[in-house]
Amino acid sequence: MNQPDNLIHQPVRLKIMAALKALPFGGQIEFVRLKALTDATEGNLGAHIQTLEQAGYVAVEKDFAANRPRTRVALTRQGLRAFEDYVAYLRDIIQDKP
Amino acid sequence: MTLSSDQATESLKEIDRTERRSAQAYRYAYSSPFFVMWGVIWVAGYGGSDLYPHDAGSIWMALTVLGFLGSVAIGRQRARIGQQHPGMNRYASWRFLASFITMGCFVMATFALFGHAGWRQQAAFVPLLIAMFYTLVGLWAGLRFVITGIAVAVLTMGGFFFLPAHFLLWMAAVGGGALILAGLWMKKI
Repeated sequence: MNQPDNLIHQPVRLKIMAALKALPFGGQIEFVRLKALTDATEGNLGAHIQTLEQAGYVAVEKDFAANRPRTRVALTRQGLRAFEDYVAYLRDIIQDKP
Repeated sequence: MTLSSDQATESLKEIDRTERRSAQAYRYAYSSPFFVMWGVIWVAGYGGSDLYPHDAGSIWMALTVLGFLGSVAIGRQRARIGQQHPGMNRYASWRFLASFITMGCFVMATFALFGHAGWRQQAAFVPLLIAMFYTLVGLWAGLRFVITGIAVAVLTMGGFFFLPAHFLLWMAAVGGGALILAGLWMKKI
């Protein structure tokens, strides 16, 4: 990879992907928890999740828990691969340092 | 667009920081219902032992079986909603069972080695053992486990020495209560 994946490179999206990667594969994080982990505002986080969902990097599940709307996000296999490629790209840059 | 080495290093640091925070939050959330359930069991066990001291052994035996079944059920429920703990698999029930048996054997062996222990010593020893377990786990998994472990140990020792006549009630209310509170705290973001 010669170019960084711009979808992941954006700071908030990078944090979203890293937070999801820390879970066992298929594990979901609730929106409110993700908000705390990324230090993003609600609207900002929602927009970035939507971008990642459209790219097929995350899967979003919406339901109700205790009569309250709940949004949960999980990494997809495609997202996991893209994130691992991105991390490998970063490591390559450091290793190639003159 | 290409990144400089410094930018790449900074991004990797950010990834590492976020992964650590996320993994820790996940461990807290995962363990929350276990703490609450065992807190309720302590309330019932110590409270029941205080009310019916002659049946304390049977009460604890029944509650331990209930706790085992509850732990398996929570583990399965977590797996269903995609919060499977790494290391948990279809042998999880056997691991829970083996953990209970190991702890039971350790407690019995300790009592056998150190002679006959009175009911208060017995009632204090197991919570202390569990407190040590939480503290040790916390050194690797997160500060909240350490604080819970220390709190349970201090409350147990405090009740043992300062409230000997009402120790079981103390452990029901304060020991069990501490575990329930810890469970709610673990759930908090």
